[in-house]
Amino acid sequence: MIDALRFIVDSTNWSGPNGIATRLGTHAWVSFTAIAAASVIAVPVGVWLGHIRRGRVLAISVANLTRAIPSFAILAFVVAAGGGIGFIPTWTAMVALAIPPLFVGALVGVAEVDDSVIDAARGMGMRPLQILTSAELPLAMPLMMSGLRVAVGQVIATATLGAFVGYNTLGRFITVGRANRDNPMLYGGVVLIVAMALIVDGALRLVGRKSLRWRQDPS
Amino acid sequence: MMTHTRALVRSAAVVGIALAMLGLASCGDDDDTSGSTDTGSTDLPAIKIAHQAFGESEILAHVYGGVLEAEGYDVSYQSFKDRAAIYTALESGDANLVPDYAASALEFLNGNAGEASPDVDATVAALETQLAKKDLAAGAASGAVDSNSLVVTKATAEAGTTKISDLTEDAILGGPQDCPSNAGCIPALKSTYGIDLSAKFVPLDLGGPLTKAALEKGDIDVAVIFSTDSSIADKGWTVLEDDKGIFNADNVIPVGAAKLFSEASFTALLDGASKALTTENLTEMNKRFDVDKEDAEVIAKDFISENDLG
Repeated sequence: MIDALRFIVDSTNWSGPNGIATRLGTHAWVSFTAIAAASVIAVPVGVWLGHIRRGRVLAISVANLTRAIPSFAILAFVVAAGGGIGFIPTWTAMVALAIPPLFVGALVGVAEVDDSVIDAARGMGMRPLQILTSAELPLAMPLMMSGLRVAVGQVIATATLGAFVGYNTLGRFITVGRANRDNPMLYGGVVLIVAMALIVDGALRLVGRKSLRWRQDPS
Repeated sequence: MMTHTRALVRSAAVVGIALAMLGLASCGDDDDTSGSTDTGSTDLPAIKIAHQAFGESEILAHVYGGVLEAEGYDVSYQSFKDRAAIYTALESGDANLVPDYAASALEFLNGNAGEASPDVDATVAALETQLAKKDLAAGAASGAVDSNSLVVTKATAEAGTTKISDLTEDAILGGPQDCPSNAGCIPALKSTYGIDLSAKFVPLDLGGPLTKAALEKGDIDVAVIFSTDSSIADKGWTVLEDDKGIFNADNVIPVGAAKLFSEASFTALLDGASKALTTENLTEMNKRFDVDKEDAEVIAKDFISENDLG
């Protein structure tokens, strides 16, 4: 463990194409772009299905079933299907991993909004789109945020697998460390990935709390 | 009364089955040392062959395994990620035989002490010393040599890089994950050629699809690929000439539990298979696996029947 920390603080391990900085950047880049793409796909559909309040059980079942597909299988499939190596297979697997929690969070968040709230909003003369943006979405925010946090946590942890398909993520410290019996590198990689996941999760939690400040407001 | 008798019969049957299972288990475990002349298949030790996760290793596992199976041995196969995992399994008894490569195995076991050389006999002798320390042993080395080789694309070769000493430290090397510590890889380039390719090294796979895809795509300039790899000829790639001699005697050699090799009949079977193996027929078998997508077991079976080993 101490060796792992020593590995991380050693500045020579940060530079170069195989350094921590490069791999951290690659890891962050594939995670961010995958979450962004998954959000664009999953959130509108989830919100819409929640808004029309139909097919909810089926949609959630299907979404949860897709969670059973191992990311590693997707990686292998994309490589075998001619997706090349590196970014594309890693990114595809991460998008697939991030969609279910984002989708379920958006769907359940909107669908769970109390009927009386919607009735009240309608009674105030809001049109359907206004109901969605002014009543449903703000109230769905906590569940949507928790869906996002689950997705981000899983993606950061799992982007590690990119190392198996020739992508320069933090996972390479684990694979190379293990293959060369270099334990400080291996554990250093583990610590870096865990730290990255925790820091990003903490940041999202903070953002979520800030954006929901109005809820704690007693007035 | 009736129920009592039934209960007795039942418990007797349970005890009987349990004893039978114990008996079977002990057969599997200790029979290796027995000098029994009984040729019943239950007398032969169970062979658990480990191989690395690439075609040639799998084919070789089935060549040695097939020869043993033909003589009535019970053989099972398991794929491992790398040599470190295999030797852990050999020591724990989860595996008891592996088709390995003399020089690479030696340098793995001696902690990269640099004892391996292009001399087969010396390399095998040193390997046997290392193996004995772990209660392991080896059969005779085969004539098939699968050493690492450095491969570049046709374009790179035409631009003037045809031997390893032509390389510069700008070159991006791609290869197996353990290349930074594998004596036949980056350390050898550093010590013999004075070229340190570690900074830009791209860890991919062991002569596998990632390495070949990366070379083809241009992600790497130089690939560590096995000398018996059929795709070298397939793609028109060039194997860089090893002008200072770093690639060691990586002859195919079966390694396993010392107990197994103490049986002359067992060793003779493996040696027969080793004798039939050459670099050429191994490359041909690799081509059937990689290019023609044939099954390792089928390829090995054909090899055994073509060479009258079964």
